Amino acid sequence: MLINAYSKAVYNIALNFFADRDIAADVTQDIFLKIYNNLEKFKEEKNFTAWLFTISRNYCIDYWRKNKKYLSNSQELDEKVSLHDPTPEDDAIRESEIRELRKKIAQLEPELRVMLILRDIQDLSYQEIAGKFSIPEGTVKSRINRARLKLAQSYVRGEA
Amino acid sequence: MIYKCKEIESLLSAYLENELPAEVTADITRHLAACPRCLELKEKVEALILSLSDLQEEVPFFLKNRLFNIPEISEKKKLARTVFSPKWLAAAAGTIILFLNLSYFTNIFPPLNRTMHSLVGSIETFVVQTGGWFEQIKESKDLLLFTFFNKKSSENKADKLNAEFNANKVISKGGNNG
Repeated sequence: MLINAYSKAVYNIALNFFADRDIAADVTQDIFLKIYNNLEKFKEEKNFTAWLFTISRNYCIDYWRKNKKYLSNSQELDEKVSLHDPTPEDDAIRESEIRELRKKIAQLEPELRVMLILRDIQDLSYQEIAGKFSIPEGTVKSRINRARLKLAQSYVRGEA
Repeated sequence: MIYKCKEIESLLSAYLENELPAEVTADITRHLAACPRCLELKEKVEALILSLSDLQEEVPFFLKNRLFNIPEISEKKKLARTVFSPKWLAAAAGTIILFLNLSYFTNIFPPLNRTMHSLVGSIETFVVQTGGWFEQIKESKDLLLFTFFNKKSSENKADKLNAEFNANKVISKGGNNG
């Protein structure tokens, strides 16, 4: 039940955070393992999704910090992403655009990256994001705006 | 109110999501109509938000399979951690020792008591036997050492006597010559 309900959200956070399907799969598995191992601790918490998103965010940021050198090597990242065939839903052009966009997202600062993924990819409201990470809504809004501006200035659709 | 480009940037997301008061929205719309740079940025952000919403992907089948195996792995690990924790191992060892002592000194479980006594008897016999072997080994070692050192000391003695004899010979020769 837990996997059916949350695996897509966690996988998409990891996928768009790292721009690499293999890493996203490994990270998603690690996050769920962490969740299962800490389920007993959760009972005291109020909101399960908030707890799950906090674990996912912290794990992604930690993983990124530990493997920064390897992950920030954009050349390698590009090659790794292009190893995958387009998914059935995407044609070749779309896949190339998506790849380019993910690459750009992966270059944002980790905190901005997480906020942007939750808002624009996972479609969470500002209030939900603020609630999940216990930070003021204003901070979330300004971080997301900053992330969008940075990304928009470096990425233009169709020019990938 | 007249906004500067930097201010427009900071309000852009709120403007696109209709979160600003009508008056501010109208001011920004006016600014955008007059500023091509800000208009371009606004269009880029709009396009970006649209593209980002397409980035969701289904979880791959292989990953779902891996994820469904996690609860089992996690439970097994947890059980192993509990069973093999030092606390539990010490408790188990204590219980076994207590039980063996009870069955040895009392006759609560006669078959076990008999087995324990015969086991202890076998251990005693083994200790006595190995003690005998040790004695034998020690004796053999002493004998070997004695033979070796005795031989060595007799050889040394012979060498000493030879040397003395030769020295006397030289002295007596020297005396004759003198």
